[in-house]
Amino acid sequence: MADISQTRLPKSPFRGPTTSVWQVRVLRMRELAANILSNPTTVLGLAIIGMLLGMAIFAPFIAEPNIPDAYQMPRDWGAVRKPPGTPGHILGTTNEGGDVFYGVVWGSRTSLQLSLIVVSATVIIGTIVGSIAGFLGGWVDEVLMRIVDVFLSIPELIFALAIAAMLGPSFSNIIIALSMVIWVKYARIMRAQIIQVKQNEYIDAARVIGDSKINIYFRDILPNSFTPVMVQATLDMGNVVLIGATLSFIGLSEAGIAEWGVLVSEGQAGIASGRWWASTFPGLMIFLWALAFNLVGDGLRDALDPRTEGR
Amino acid sequence: MSAADQMPQAKPGTNADILLSVRNIKKHFPIREGALQKVVGQVRAVDGVSFDIRRGETLGLVGESGCGKTTLGQVVSGLRAPTDGAVYYDISEAQRAELETRQAVNWGAGHRIDQLEGAAFKNFRRNCQMVFQDSYSSLNPRHLVIDLVGRPLKVYKEASGDELVERVVALLEQVGLDRQHLYRYPHQFSGGQRQRISIARALALDPDLIVLDEPTSALDVSVQAQILNLLHDLQVERNLAYLFVTHDLSVVRHMADRIVTMYLGKVVETGETTDIFRQPYHPYTQALMAAKPDLIEGEDTAMQSLEGLVPDPARPPQGCRFHTRCPQATPVCGWEVDDVVRWLDSSEEMFDKLSGVERKSAFDATLTFEDETSAQRLADGLQSDLVPAPMREATEALEVSGKSVRVRFREVAEINLTDRDNGRAAACILDPNDVKRG
Amino acid sequence: MFDENQPSLAANSANAIARVDDLKVYFNSKRGIVHSVDGVSFDIRDGETLGLVGETGCGKSVTGRSFLQLLPMPPGIQAGGSITFYPQGICEECGGKGCASCTGTGRTSVDCEACSGTGCDACGNNGAQQIDLLKLGSEKMRRIRGDRIAMIFQDPGKALNPSLTIREQVGEVFLQHRSEELLGAAGIATDAGGWQANILRRKASQMERGIEGLLLALPPLRSQRNKLELALDDMVADALTETQIANPRKLMGRYPHELSGGMRQRVMIAQALACNPDLLIADEPTTALDVTVQARILELISELKERHKTSVLYISHDLSLVRRICDRVAVMYAGRIAEIGTTEQIFNDPRHPYTRGLLAAVPTAASKRGELAAIKGSVPELVDPKPSCRFTGRCLFETEACGTFDPALQNVAPNHAVSCFIHHPPPEGARPSFDTKTS
Repeated sequence: MADISQTRLPKSPFRGPTTSVWQVRVLRMRELAANILSNPTTVLGLAIIGMLLGMAIFAPFIAEPNIPDAYQMPRDWGAVRKPPGTPGHILGTTNEGGDVFYGVVWGSRTSLQLSLIVVSATVIIGTIVGSIAGFLGGWVDEVLMRIVDVFLSIPELIFALAIAAMLGPSFSNIIIALSMVIWVKYARIMRAQIIQVKQNEYIDAARVIGDSKINIYFRDILPNSFTPVMVQATLDMGNVVLIGATLSFIGLSEAGIAEWGVLVSEGQAGIASGRWWASTFPGLMIFLWALAFNLVGDGLRDALDPRTEGR
Repeated sequence: MSAADQMPQAKPGTNADILLSVRNIKKHFPIREGALQKVVGQVRAVDGVSFDIRRGETLGLVGESGCGKTTLGQVVSGLRAPTDGAVYYDISEAQRAELETRQAVNWGAGHRIDQLEGAAFKNFRRNCQMVFQDSYSSLNPRHLVIDLVGRPLKVYKEASGDELVERVVALLEQVGLDRQHLYRYPHQFSGGQRQRISIARALALDPDLIVLDEPTSALDVSVQAQILNLLHDLQVERNLAYLFVTHDLSVVRHMADRIVTMYLGKVVETGETTDIFRQPYHPYTQALMAAKPDLIEGEDTAMQSLEGLVPDPARPPQGCRFHTRCPQATPVCGWEVDDVVRWLDSSEEMFDKLSGVERKSAFDATLTFEDETSAQRLADGLQSDLVPAPMREATEALEVSGKSVRVRFREVAEINLTDRDNGRAAACILDPNDVKRG
Repeated sequence: MFDENQPSLAANSANAIARVDDLKVYFNSKRGIVHSVDGVSFDIRDGETLGLVGETGCGKSVTGRSFLQLLPMPPGIQAGGSITFYPQGICEECGGKGCASCTGTGRTSVDCEACSGTGCDACGNNGAQQIDLLKLGSEKMRRIRGDRIAMIFQDPGKALNPSLTIREQVGEVFLQHRSEELLGAAGIATDAGGWQANILRRKASQMERGIEGLLLALPPLRSQRNKLELALDDMVADALTETQIANPRKLMGRYPHELSGGMRQRVMIAQALACNPDLLIADEPTTALDVTVQARILELISELKERHKTSVLYISHDLSLVRRICDRVAVMYAGRIAEIGTTEQIFNDPRHPYTRGLLAAVPTAASKRGELAAIKGSVPELVDPKPSCRFTGRCLFETEACGTFDPALQNVAPNHAVSCFIHHPPPEGARPSFDTKTS
């Protein structure tokens, strides 16, 4: 019998301890993180997000929560329309005496809530629908995709506007409206990815082994399809706040809550009279939030590019 | 390894000799056109293929791209359902003889792979594994080697935890890898190593048969040698049967006991490897050999090449499918109207002047042109040297009337595989001695 | 088809059409600097087909692409060496038939531009023009590409632009390099003055400016432009007919995806040979094709090569192919030439252990199953390698000296050179030998 030791292989270039599955996964996560962090703009984005997250989480410690509802802007009729620098109100006050600084800080909480809930909901719904369409194909795929097409043919903003207007002005209605509009994007992404992944031979290999369709979906198809969804979700964290702010600006949200879009809207009338601070600071926050997530999303996309992934 | 370990181990519970009997498999893919996706034709990827694979033997399936061998491999391993025909698993010689003569058998449900259920299906699945051509895309890039090779064991719940790890290590060692490779990703390995991982995975459940779809085509020569040696050793140790699909004749001569040559969806020749290479019975097999002469014999055999293009598998030629390119075609090889159309296509201008073709049958049609000169040119051309001599001789009628030309060829039935001596078969009407070598 | 009996041009001609001298190409990578090509030297003689054989990662493609500066230079580093091109032309004295001054081949080297053949520094005082391909500016290189040196690639599906018709694709070569001929064929005097002639001239070399496209569609220039287009059609059709494509006019209007692999490869060959280049670099042109189609393409390349007296650098990993059509063969391993010689020498008398291993690894009628002579181990990583023979660790005859010194490529017979200490003793240490297997 030929000597198989003749076919001795050289040392693999992979460095580091390789004694268990978890160690490998941890190492790989570290590699990925290093990859992401090597991009300066991504790091900037992450820093900003860190700051905003910190603001959101520690809001009660940064600005005393309003009683009874922390999410309502405090109204101090004695300090109306004060400019920035006024003692007790660093960033000035609004028309109703609300502290702009308070709005900025607590607004980060509302924005966080908004983006987390909407993005989670849409990713889950979109993934499920997209998976069913991509996996089953045939007429199920056709029907689902036509529904998606209908949704996609209406501009996001206008659609959300219509739904929010229909449901009535409230913050939760904005969440619902946005969710209903954005999920289709994920359905489409997921379906396209699944169709592409299905063509790979490792799917055939799994079938030849005799694994069940469900298992193949969760073990092979889903993990390999999820990357674009993750990237899009990151970008949408920023987008959602933008659109939400627009809806609030138009007046479809509740008046007087600590939300950046509402603040911009309420302070807008004062700009002509020179009272720029009530709109500008919340507006700046919206900008920073969207910018940060966009930077991170781009960085994520580059780091997770299948061509460079894991090299 | 002692000599005793090298003896093929008898599988407990089975006494069948024939692992897989492929009976008249057809696989057609519909061609859909139009807004309503109407089916306008069929791509006949596999069009009636039969052969048997016995325990412990290597059957080589040879052909070029488009001949259907990959599709056939997928059907045989159960990945695709055939349009017609059946694959039988684990039958005896007597049962096989019965299949030859009878259309339907009453024990079919227990052995046809598309009708197996429950435990019987699981048994088939475990015993028929596959190794794919592209080692990169056949391994999930996000799984570690331990996941990949251990998966079959997990699916059939044969082992878990530490025991699983040890069994995977044992498999890796069998293919020339070792423990240090357990926790790595496929992209960290070279092509040859990845193919070894694929082989280890295929061996995990101790199968009877492995379908190897061009396993070494993407590998360098020296790596290929390592893999081929490995495959041979494994076969001897475990009494494995291989269905070795490839286009490389030198590899198939080295590895296969018997060979099946395919062309455009049909089998053109089968037989023992040594017999076929000594004297091929079919011109296509001969052409394959002539196209790539052996490295050693290369001195005296000149390289020869084949004219023409592979015809459209949706409209396979009549008679013998190879007649459009065969250097030794005869008048009764199936010349037909489509050959005239093909000839027209290759000459300048004339194809543009063709306005219509009315077919009475595949052999009889009237072609109408835009003007009389073109019609006359066609008639003249069909009688001249521009057209192969056998095609001229097969023309039974050729009439020009105005702008139309009526042409009729001798009708020929489909030329099928005929049995020859010594377990060989070939789908050619020529006498074997007339199939020229070199 | 290559006829063994006909004395080939290569046998008579000592003229080199290209010389690679100690070429070094490195690549920057995460793991370090990869020495892809690490000191490669060989000649390509006028009219010969030189095979460059090796397995994946040996550097043969990189070598081939260096000729035309086709490597991406940010990760790539030109680390040393030169590739000199000696353009050849028809011998003026005998018009290509063969005479004393061209030693019977009918071709001589082109005179040096700087000194018109008298001898100067630029041409190393021998009067023949030489061009250092690695140092050439991009404009001059562009003029050489497609015209004097052409290249065909492995996957014709990827090498042809999917959004151009075949006519546009092949026509481009003529528009770039043969615009004078085009104008002449269209009946437009090349020295005619005036703005109209200038526009036409620019169109003929694909350099028409924005609005001129519009002007060319209008009556005064339109008929001229049509004449140009017709002339171009003729030239393209001729080029395609040469590659034995049936019905070229019909094919010209098609797109690459409508053609089969073999047809696409013919189109690529037509495009490459359109301007009668002196040197054709073929980078695994038949690997992606079926065996029967491969044979046809190889025959085609041989025929065209004979007809146009083109030299060919044929890069491949397939030994049996190389044996069929090459006059000489260079075997590359890990960035260096292991052995170079005539086809017969390499296949009948291989002197390098790697060449021997490679030949023994191909399954033949005589090989026994399970006993193919596999070369143990695998190709080393070429990151910052230390001086040593690259085949160490896999060689059956190696000694310690092999791991310490770089072997040089030296002759063992006329036309046959090997880079191995078995044939030329190492500076110090035990000399390996074919008679003593050490592993």
